[in-house]
Amino acid sequence: MSPVKGDAKFTNEVLRLAGLEVRTCIQCGTCSAACPTAHLMDNSIRRLVKFSLEGRKEEALASSSVWLCTSCLLCTVRCPRGIRPKVLVGALRDIFEREGRKDKDQAYEDLFMRQIMDLGRISEALLSAEYLLADPASAVQTMEMGLELLPKGKITVQKDRIKGTDEVKSIFAELGKG
Amino acid sequence: MILKEKANHISFKDWMRIHVQSPMPIGVYVCHCGLNIAGVLNMDELKSFSEKLPDVVIARDLPFSCSDIGQEQIQKDVADFKLDRVVVAACSPRLHEPTFRRAITKAGLNPYMLEMANIREQCSWVHMDQPAMATQKAKDLIRMAVAKAALLQPLESATIPVSRDVLVVGGGVAGIQAALDLADSGQHVYLVERRPTIGGYMALLTDVFPTNDCSICVLAPKMSDVYNHPLITLMIYSEILGVEGSVGNFRVSGVKKARFVDLKKCKGCINECAGVCPVEVPSEYNFGIGKRKAIYVPFPQAVPQVACVDPQACIGCARCIEACPADAVNFEEKQEEFKLTVGAIIVATGWQPFDATRKEEYGFGRHRDVITSLQLERMLNAAGPTRGEVVRPSTGEIAGSIAFLQCVGSRDATVGNIYCSRICCMASLKNAQLVKEKYPDTEITIHYIDIRAGGEGYEEFYLRAQKLGINFVRARVSEIDEEDGSLYLNFEDTLSSSFRRVKYDLAVLSIGLEPDKNAEVLGNLLGLSRRTDGFFEIAHPKMRPVEAHIDGVFIAGCASGPKEIQTSIAQGSAAAAKAMRLLSKGEIELEPTSAYVDRDLCTQCKLCEDVCPKRAISVKSPALVDEAACKGCGSCAAACPVDAIQMRLFSDQQILAQIRAATEEKSEFPLIVAFLCNWCSYGAADLAGTSRIQYPTNARNIRVMCAGRVDPSFILEALQRGADGVLVAGCRLGECHYVKGNYQALQRVEVLKGVLEKIGINPGRVKIVWCAASEGDIFAKDIKQFVQELKEMGPIGTELKEALPGA
Repeated sequence: MSPVKGDAKFTNEVLRLAGLEVRTCIQCGTCSAACPTAHLMDNSIRRLVKFSLEGRKEEALASSSVWLCTSCLLCTVRCPRGIRPKVLVGALRDIFEREGRKDKDQAYEDLFMRQIMDLGRISEALLSAEYLLADPASAVQTMEMGLELLPKGKITVQKDRIKGTDEVKSIFAELGKG
Repeated sequence: MILKEKANHISFKDWMRIHVQSPMPIGVYVCHCGLNIAGVLNMDELKSFSEKLPDVVIARDLPFSCSDIGQEQIQKDVADFKLDRVVVAACSPRLHEPTFRRAITKAGLNPYMLEMANIREQCSWVHMDQPAMATQKAKDLIRMAVAKAALLQPLESATIPVSRDVLVVGGGVAGIQAALDLADSGQHVYLVERRPTIGGYMALLTDVFPTNDCSICVLAPKMSDVYNHPLITLMIYSEILGVEGSVGNFRVSGVKKARFVDLKKCKGCINECAGVCPVEVPSEYNFGIGKRKAIYVPFPQAVPQVACVDPQACIGCARCIEACPADAVNFEEKQEEFKLTVGAIIVATGWQPFDATRKEEYGFGRHRDVITSLQLERMLNAAGPTRGEVVRPSTGEIAGSIAFLQCVGSRDATVGNIYCSRICCMASLKNAQLVKEKYPDTEITIHYIDIRAGGEGYEEFYLRAQKLGINFVRARVSEIDEEDGSLYLNFEDTLSSSFRRVKYDLAVLSIGLEPDKNAEVLGNLLGLSRRTDGFFEIAHPKMRPVEAHIDGVFIAGCASGPKEIQTSIAQGSAAAAKAMRLLSKGEIELEPTSAYVDRDLCTQCKLCEDVCPKRAISVKSPALVDEAACKGCGSCAAACPVDAIQMRLFSDQQILAQIRAATEEKSEFPLIVAFLCNWCSYGAADLAGTSRIQYPTNARNIRVMCAGRVDPSFILEALQRGADGVLVAGCRLGECHYVKGNYQALQRVEVLKGVLEKIGINPGRVKIVWCAASEGDIFAKDIKQFVQELKEMGPIGTELKEALPGA
């Protein structure tokens, strides 16, 4: 293993999924400075790029940032090198899931996706309840914010289901995530 | 001595050959080159083979044909055998063609009645362990050379008288330097400037790096020299609208815009006229900070020091006419057309600043305290709109904290500029120093991706900025937002991995340099090519830094890419020297290798106009080649659908004769006819020889000036005559000596492959490869690979037999 290249297989897989232009990163930090959830992340998006290029697989996949990306695409719009950091995050998620790894943030992501697939939307109350069961420690930390949101009408209590959940399921199936 | 005695004796057979058989007696000289050739090839066999070729009246093998003895032998034979053309089978023509041309010229022949067969670099040196096959290949190469020699025509290199005057376009520092160097050397210069003053951007800067000396103080004397030089015709406030002709005789037309002020009468007092002018507009010479009147002098040190009326802003109140004590203002003035004839053109059209409003996230134009580096230059300038004070535009107060943002519009794919603008790091280091020296308490931070300070004294300059207490943060700012009238910069300090939101009084955007849009007209008129970054392309990215692809056109300064003042001045001088070298004799010699048109055949389809990289051919009922501009690449001849265009030294007939000779005797399988461009792949094949890289003997090489010369009909002819494969080798893409000949070759080969496939021939039999002259190993590898591929395909026609049922 090269001292700089680390796990080359991992690097190549990320590049395959996220595009070869990732190699042209100049570590300027525009992506992470643009990121609205950067302050919640343990490693910035910029560092995820660095880890990926250096084959530092464990550090990359253990980062909470992988699961905190909201796909707002600001990083991708502003990157001066035309790299798509958001797609890189997606690549890391793919690799993580493919390897059957588990993570508390990923647990939330799983529940989130499961609900979208089943209901076609998110039922905040149900999601909170399920999250509480899946990862009580983390869920309790976020409970305070949930309680603030409740009187503001930001959290719906009833369980909604959109029309055409079958179509949503077929989208998931198309993506191989059924 | 032995040779001499032999030569004196003319046998009956020889006598018959001279006087009966051949109307165009050819002499063939097979060179031993010591053992370099004779050590591998069978010289006796080659000599007796050559003797039997058509039109050959004498064939000799010479130990060293390039030696004096060898050359004398050839000259003697020319006289004795009344030879009118000569074939030398020896080393590469790239080495000794000039030697033998001189030799036969001395014997009274036209220098172009010589053809060489390259049996050293492209035969004996690369097939050292296959002497029998190499000898066979050498025979084919000699046969091909003799076949071409029989079709050679005497050519005369003409000289044309040229104008010694030079046109310099652009009155910035590069153009000024070029004009002064030319004029000081006694050449007359027309300096055309679009704006009402010369000086360019340098005249607007404050102090300049790396010495922090005052910009205008060092430039103003040069500006005034230009104005007063007897050999410089300064054509201010003028634009070029037409260019015709070519090197030595460019006919240029343009227009001098109406200034509405008499250049001779105006004393430049400006206060009288501008004082009464009621119209105020933002001053472009202060980049939008500060105002000027509709009648104005661009800046205090402008040359000429003459007012100018802005017709867009003027409301025609005529108060300036009344106010002028010299009676210089004249609203009746009309624009004037002009026509010039010049021998050379120096393009010094400069650059334009990146439009900072395109980076919306930085809020330039929205937040008043976000300014550009050029606006800061004007603020710092004692003659500028703030008289040298660095203030916040929103309050007019001195800025207490200043942030510099580097790479705004440079190194940024989102705005299409991936290049580094090269000067902004140093410019910000300089401006930060100037501010810090003037206001020691001001907090200054430079936000950078990389500090690029590569130049004499530049790193020391960086060091100085650090010592002055200027802060450096490695970050590319993502966004500037405004809160309660203050600016906040959002960035990640990438060296400490921390997110920051920091308040500053003033943010300075270090804007990059872009190609000047106003120069596009001139670029199109001259046919200059552009790089992907939009700047004008130079003839070679390293070896020819101030020459354009068009002969007689030179490029200096930022027109060919961002550069600092020092380099722009060096390029101005270099372009001047190049123009002098070209025109000093008052005449130029033309290579007789150009294209010519059979005007009866031309159908005026204009395909040739499109492919010509030199704009040397124009279809004026019918097409006409400007032989001064043509460089003989032959792409027009390949493109012409009716074969109306011919090349003087590489005619269709000559090349077809070589192809027929190569395929006359199919001496090995697979037999490859290879077309090599003179500049790169032929050089690569020669290098493979000098490096003794061994490869199979199958290729029969035909030298052409450019891969673009290869007419698809040549390829078809070769295949039809039994060649198993055809190789076309050109310069690497993007490195063509004729700009885009290799792309044109690629296009033609791709189309031809489609045709071949349709008629049942394996398109893999035609291969196009790229190698630089330094890539002998790649050339050898290409041949090896192609031979292998053709072996798998089988002899030509195999695929047709296979396609027939029952065959």
